[in-house]
Amino acid sequence: MTENIYAPHLITIKKIRDEAENIRTFTLEFNDPKMRKSFAYRPGQFGEVTVFGVGEAPISITSSPSMKGYLELSVAGVGKVSRAMHQKKVGDVIGFRGPYGNTFPFDEVAGKDILFVAGGIGLAPLRSLINQMFAERKKFNKISILYGCRYPKMMCFLDDLDKWGKVPNSEVLMTVDTDPEKCWKANIGVVGSLLPKIKIDLKTTVAFVCGPPIMIHFVILDLLKMGFAGDRIITTMERRMECGLGKCGHCNIGEKYVCFDGPVYSYQQLKELGENI
Amino acid sequence: MSEMKIISKDKLTDYLKSLSGDYEVIVPVIDKGTLGFGALGSVKMETAFNGRPLISPKEYFFPQREKIFTFNAKDSKNVDIQEHANTAKRVIWGVRPCDLYGIRTLDTIFLSNYVDTYYKARRDNTVVMGLNCNEPCATCFCDSWNTGPFAKEAFDLLFTDLGDKYLVNIGSKKGEKVVSKGVKLFSVAADADKAKAGELEKKSKKAFTRSVHSADVKKKLPGSWDDKLWTEEALPCILCGGCNFVCPTCHCFNIEDIVEGGDISTRIRYWDSCQLGGFTQMAAENTREHQSERLRQRIFHKCVYTADKYNGVPGCTGCGRCIEVCPAEIDITHILGRVTSK
Repeated sequence: MTENIYAPHLITIKKIRDEAENIRTFTLEFNDPKMRKSFAYRPGQFGEVTVFGVGEAPISITSSPSMKGYLELSVAGVGKVSRAMHQKKVGDVIGFRGPYGNTFPFDEVAGKDILFVAGGIGLAPLRSLINQMFAERKKFNKISILYGCRYPKMMCFLDDLDKWGKVPNSEVLMTVDTDPEKCWKANIGVVGSLLPKIKIDLKTTVAFVCGPPIMIHFVILDLLKMGFAGDRIITTMERRMECGLGKCGHCNIGEKYVCFDGPVYSYQQLKELGENI
Repeated sequence: MSEMKIISKDKLTDYLKSLSGDYEVIVPVIDKGTLGFGALGSVKMETAFNGRPLISPKEYFFPQREKIFTFNAKDSKNVDIQEHANTAKRVIWGVRPCDLYGIRTLDTIFLSNYVDTYYKARRDNTVVMGLNCNEPCATCFCDSWNTGPFAKEAFDLLFTDLGDKYLVNIGSKKGEKVVSKGVKLFSVAADADKAKAGELEKKSKKAFTRSVHSADVKKKLPGSWDDKLWTEEALPCILCGGCNFVCPTCHCFNIEDIVEGGDISTRIRYWDSCQLGGFTQMAAENTREHQSERLRQRIFHKCVYTADKYNGVPGCTGCGRCIEVCPAEIDITHILGRVTSK
């Protein structure tokens, strides 16, 4: 029998970190030593996670290939599988198959200014790319990271943000939509409100945008208004997925399957796909 | 290709029965008043019917509901994963050309890029015996897509009803093998037999009452994206999903885990329907909220996307089942007619 493309590989939870309100980051290691060695992925890819007895869900990889030997997934406990995952403890076994989908451009954007605009847990897939870029920091020019959440307790990856902001020629700006507990010292407003606060050289900047669909929508409008070309805006597309293999049909748009040909697209490509984005 | 054979009609059942030692033999049967497929011997085999059975043989390659794994989570640290793949040897007789091409389309989808383990196991172990259509039924339009009424490819064996006998084309090694198992029942076809099949094909082609302008469909469909016809045509839809379920090329599915009790759970996959509102529902939004968008998706997927993605392989084979089964009389030939007449 050929290798079963639907078979989950057993993977053990090595560490659990409370990332933000209702968001946990799981550090995972494959049970099979051969998988530990052979498993390779690129930033932007995702996997199908199984909580046995509950189900399967697509989750993007937040660790970076530059961090060897383990895999990290940051999961908001909002659905059946993700809530069950939040019940898991260190040492428990779950299932994982992947990696699936295409990847963020990396070598293609070498030498450029890089602008990241992330909302909420949308920073998770970008974090994979950002850490990869910081591991090869000299390859890129200025890196700006704009990060927004609904309120301060939703902020993810604060250690990473702190670390990135301290690297020369790099900047991190954060914002929250609201500050109910009056504890926030930085900007208040949607993430797009940070754009006027930084210097952007349109000639050399490539923007990576990831977050909830409504945020992506408005940030892309902001960027277009600033004069960004459609092929200089890179984003990820959210679609319902079951198989991750381009077969089950749910994420089909035109002749493309978001799980297979995506989920990373430039705004230019999204326009060409046609369906409401 | 091997030479064509003849088998007498009254020997067909004997031949199929002779295979039943090695294969499960599936034939057209009437089940609960509906013509579909079932095991030979369980009910009367249907050999004389116009057009295609309402239920396609898709079920035998891609079942409506299929167990794919059993998980036994003995404790939180140990899980046994058992794979289920059906490797039963099967012969399916009486597959109409629309369905032969339908199976070929499913082959392309399930066996390219990532190879689908479950589909492949069934496909590899099944011998497909086609049956040309001497007379289409009222909703058939395979002629328009060149996927019938007589098949040119995509079969292991292909039968043509010549009255008191069948002409048999051999299309593959698998086909040769099963003919050799009944070698005494087959004789070599005469030129007159082949000529008769040719006449029957011509006659059948003239009997179609529906058609689509296939060349124009591909050209004009993209321009119809924002047309009001999608809203108008989708209006009577009652969201039953029947069009998807009878379609020989529809392949969308869900994957779900069912707790069997204790630590045992089963992962199943089952057919889904792009016509149902939940098909594209996500936490943040539903990308096809309106029925007009969902109908448009079905028609575009059948008539544009599949061919674009898979090198011209047809997404629609003109079997007309979606027309026959629709309680709201939504008719793909009527819709495509509106598109191409603009």
